[in-house]
Parts: sequence; structure tokens; C-alpha cells
Amino acid sequence: MSAAPALPRAWRDGQLAVLLLLPIALINAIGFILPVLNLARYSFNRSRIGGGIEQVFTWENWVGLLSDPFYLELVLNSVWISLAITLTTLVVSYPIALYLHRASGSWRTFLTVLVISPLLTSAVVRTYGWIAILTDDGPVVSAIKALGLPAPSLMFNIKGVFIGLTEILMPYMILALMAGFGRLDPRVEEAARTLGATPARTFRKVILPLTLPGIALGCLLCFVLAVSSFITPKLMGGGRVFLLATEIYDQAIVTLNWPLASTLSILVLIVFGAALWAYSAVLRRLD
Amino acid sequence: MPTTSAPDEHLRLEGIGVSFGAVNVIPSLDLSVRKGEMVAFLGPSGCGKTTTLRIIAGLNKPSRGSIMVGGRDITHLPIHDRDMGMVFQSYALFPHMDVSHNVQFGLQMRNVPAREAEKRAAQALEMVQLGHLAHRKPKELSGGQQQRVALARALVIEPSILLLDEPLSNLDAKLRDEMRVQIRALQQQSGITAVFVTHDQVEALSMCDRVVVMRGGHVEQFGTPTEVYERPATAFVANFVGRTNRLKGALTAEGILTGAGQQLRSATRLPAGAVDILVRPHRIRLQETGEADNKVQGTVSTITFIGDLVQYGVSVGGEEIVVEEATRRGRSPLAAGDSVTLGWSAEDTLIYPAGEK
Ligand SMILES: Nc1ncnc2c1ncn2[C@@H]1O[C@H](COP(=O)(O)OP(=O)(O)O)[C@@H](O)[C@H]1O
Ligand SMILES: [Mg+2]
Repeated sequence: MSAAPALPRAWRDGQLAVLLLLPIALINAIGFILPVLNLARYSFNRSRIGGGIEQVFTWENWVGLLSDPFYLELVLNSVWISLAITLTTLVVSYPIALYLHRASGSWRTFLTVLVISPLLTSAVVRTYGWIAILTDDGPVVSAIKALGLPAPSLMFNIKGVFIGLTEILMPYMILALMAGFGRLDPRVEEAARTLGATPARTFRKVILPLTLPGIALGCLLCFVLAVSSFITPKLMGGGRVFLLATEIYDQAIVTLNWPLASTLSILVLIVFGAALWAYSAVLRRLD
Repeated sequence: MPTTSAPDEHLRLEGIGVSFGAVNVIPSLDLSVRKGEMVAFLGPSGCGKTTTLRIIAGLNKPSRGSIMVGGRDITHLPIHDRDMGMVFQSYALFPHMDVSHNVQFGLQMRNVPAREAEKRAAQALEMVQLGHLAHRKPKELSGGQQQRVALARALVIEPSILLLDEPLSNLDAKLRDEMRVQIRALQQQSGITAVFVTHDQVEALSMCDRVVVMRGGHVEQFGTPTEVYERPATAFVANFVGRTNRLKGALTAEGILTGAGQQLRSATRLPAGAVDILVRPHRIRLQETGEADNKVQGTVSTITFIGDLVQYGVSVGGEEIVVEEATRRGRSPLAAGDSVTLGWSAEDTLIYPAGEK
């Protein structure tokens, strides 16, 4: 044989692509799809005292969940708080991301590393850091007291969770924003300025619209991370802040009610689906 | 260099200087542009053309000096109050707006009512023959079309000065020729004062009323295209604007002596000393039979056909002189190795103090 045999035409036309995608598809099927299907199945089973699962088909988990005001409030509360945290994270991260986008050279590299560096420590450590800072005799409360103002309670309530999660999510938000800032060309901003736009109008009419893809991406990412966040609400909420993820944990590990925990998990998945739909709707409108 | 202001002066730069950190990019620049004229900034890449243009627009702050428009000092006026129409090299259209809204932008910023803004944008787009593409997004346009949208966007606000930064450098040759004519026609119709940055001498000479030849942040010469071409103030200008031969020589009491010992005559007066002698290739006659101020013997060494022109390399006493002639029908009567007598006039013999580059 003088030459290597040519690849069959069909290979070039997609079978090769399928082959290359197969490993990740397999991992996803085993590591993600199957467990989710399993969860869906549990959500239609009945729980027994002591953690047992009765293999019957029943709607009672779903009916119970959707008719119990506690759970409805839990879902709404989680979504609402996560949205508020996402928005706060966006507002504090946007100027940083814009500055980083415009910085250049080694200064930009240095700052980017600085922004990413919190990700090198686990959320547990960072949460304990925040507990030390926000606790009743910590530096923040002491400083406020020293100013003669009434001492706020920042720990073991929603305020602490809010502050802690916002900071923990900031690196993700900044990276997502920067990834979506590709269309922002300094020349285009300058063009707006020469055409008579003040800095504020340039921001509203040019910078903001051009950075919307980044904003949408960052918000989707941080919302999903906020809804599913567990460690920070658990540790900083002190058992007094009820959110979806912590409730799933309590049901699965403390009460051992796996069917209810599964039902809540599927509900979270539905919330994610809605977020994803909103995200793609925004992107479609942009184009 | 202008020191007193002309009565019809519109734009004036006084002692403008720019330093980026420790680098003094523009030492000190003075310039006066008349109302309604189109002036070219011509010079090699990196000589400070864009920087100067951006200073006029307010996009860069000068380290020193002042900018006057219509007798008013605008050095510290914010960009959005300057009323300049700028066409960027990369066009810089708003990617999220359609063509019509791109053109309307400047009008909206001036709080022109929506109806009128739409109408004026449509007129401006007609002017650049793009009325039918008003609802396209910029990325759905070709480079030439984007260029014209950028032009319409800058012109529709009827700015006090139109600033163009190498607007044609991203277009192909044929389109460039068309746009050259179109931009010049639009500028003359509207009677707008314009500054046109380019590194292309053909653009500068063919489109503009006057040309500023720049080099290393200062003005080498400021004059009409004819002045700059026929009477270049420095050897650099002669070299940069059009092609030229350069010979070494000396100016003595007897006249100019080339390195090879020929005696030449020039219309230029200079103090005695070492000089560079510059002659344009197409001002030299190849087979001089009659009287000529300067006559030298040489041998044809190369013949290059380049379309409209034939380029002869003629070796004269060890130096190579390039001569250009219009292509004639039929074969060239000369061949390599032929002896020729070159002739040219004293007016076409430009001399500059040696070493100036
Ligand atoms: N923002 C800047 N920082 C540092 N140097 C700059 C900056 N902008 C331009 N320069 C330098 O100034 C000189 C002139 O640049 P420019 O005006 O863009 O030249 P031109 O447009 O004639 O090609 C160049 O040497 C360039 O490197
Ligand atoms: Mg330039």
C-alpha cells in the first residue's frame, strides 16, 4: 500500500464528530442524566419513617409540596433572595469588570489574578472568614458601635448570607462579564462621544447595550450558583435562614425523607430551566 | 509656519505638544486651517497624525498648547461639546443599531425630534447612496458600505470640522479611487472644513487643498499639493512625496559637483558644502539630443516594464540613476548595455544640505 487509505466520506460528514462527543455524552449520561432520572423517580415514591423508600407510584409528595404554604414561600423566598444577590453582585462587579476590560498589559494580568484568587480557597474557608468579620464582636460591628450608631446584627440572619454570598459570587460574575464584553470597542465609545454623547449617555446608549450579553451570562451563572448555594446559607444563616438548598439537605440528611428531598431537587431543576429560558430569550432579543 | 491668523482661519493649533510618559511624541506643532478647506496630514506611520487628529477631537489631551476653532479656545472643552464629525479608520459603527439609527445617533444627542432625525438620516444616507440599506445592521454591510455609513453619520450633524483618520486604508484599490472622488465631492458641496489623515501621498495630493507633511511629530512642510511636490522644503519631503533619485555631491564656487565628478546646475541657492542632489525620475530625458542645463553620460543597466511606465536603471559613474518614461507602443528602442545621455533642467535639480533625511 503506497498511501494511507482516505477516511470514508461519512466520517468526515459527522460520524467523527459523534465519535468525539461520545465520551462526554457517556459521562454526562451516567453522572448527570441517570441520577436526575433517579431523583425524578424518588419524587413519586413514598417515604417511610426512618429513611425507607416505598416503591409505589404516588403524587402525594408533589401535592403536599405545592399545597403547603411553607414550601411555596421557601421557593419564592429562595428565588427572590437569589435574584437580589445576583443583582447586587452585578452592580458591584460591573465597574471592576469594565476596568479590567480596559486595562492592559501586566497590570491587567495582575488584577485578573487578584480577582480570580478567591476561587483558590474553598467557599467554606471564605464563609468562616466572613463569620469572623461580621460576628457581633467582630471588626465591622465594633466599628459601627464606636461611631455611636446602634449595633446591627449581621450574623445568623439573611444579612450575613447576603453579604457572604455576594462576595463569594463576585469572581464568577466578573469573569462572566469580561467574557461577554467582546463587542465593546473603545473606538465605538469614542465615536459616541464625538457625536455629542455625554459620558452618562454613552454608557446608557452604547456601553450598556453592548455589554448585555455579558450581563445576561453573569446573571444566569450567579443566579444558579446562588439558588444552589448551600455552605454559606447553612453556616452564616445559623439555621434561621431557610432556602431551597439547605432545606433539601435537611430533608435528605436530617429527616431522612428522600422522596421529599428529591421533589424539592426537581423543583430547583425547574427553576434552573426557567432561568436558562429567560437567558436565551434575552440573547435572542439582542440579535 | 503660520504666526498671524488669516482672516478666514477656522482651526488653529498653537504650540501643541504631546508626551506619552517620557516619550515626547509631538514636541510643538503650529497649524492654521482655513474655513472650508480640506487639509491632509501626510506622513509615515507613527509620525503623530492620528494623535494630532485625536487632540482636535478632544479624544487625547495635549500636554501643552491650545486649540482654537473659529477664534474660540476649545482646548478644555469636553469631547461631546466640540461639534466635530469624526470618521475612524475602523469605522466604529454601533454594532447594536441599524444603519439608520447609527446615522441618527448624533441628532438624538442634539435632541432633534425623532421625526426630523429620521428624515435627515434618510437624506444623509441618500447622499452616500445607501438609502436602500437603512435597516441593515453594520455587520451585514461590506467595508465600503460601512465606510459610507460612517461618513454619513459624521456629516449629518453638520459638524464644525470633519476629521477623517485614514478612512480609505481598509478598502481595495478600485473602491478607494471611487471613495476619494466621493468624499472630496461631499466635502466641497457642504463647504465643510476637513482634516484628512493619510500615509498615502496620492490621496493627499489628489483630494486636498493643502498638505501638511509630518515627520516625527513636527511639520516638515505645509503647502498646496503643487508646492509640496515641485518645491519640497526638505529632502525628506522630496523623498516621501513622489519618487526621487538621490546623489551625493558638493556645492563649490564653480557649482555643484557630483561624487563622480560631473558638474551640475541647480535653481536652488545654498551655502557651500556637502549636498544631496535630488532629481525626479520622470523629469530626466533618456536620450538628450538638444541643449540641457544638466547632461551626463551613462549606461543602461536595467529596464523594468511597470504598465504605464518603463523604468530604466542607468549607471552613471558608479551611481544608479532611475529614469521613468511613459510606455510607448512597440518595443523599447533601448537595451541593457546601451550608452545614453541623460538630460534635465536646473529647476528639476533640487539640492539640500547633506545628511538631512
Ligand atoms: N496611547 C499611547 N501611548 C503611548 N504611545 C502612543 C500612544 N498613542 C500613540 N503613541 C505613539 O505616538 C506616536 C504617534 O502615533 P500616531 O499618532 O498613532 O501615528 P500615526 O497616526 O501618524 O501613524 C507613535 O510612535 C505611537 O507609538
Ligand atoms: Mg494613525
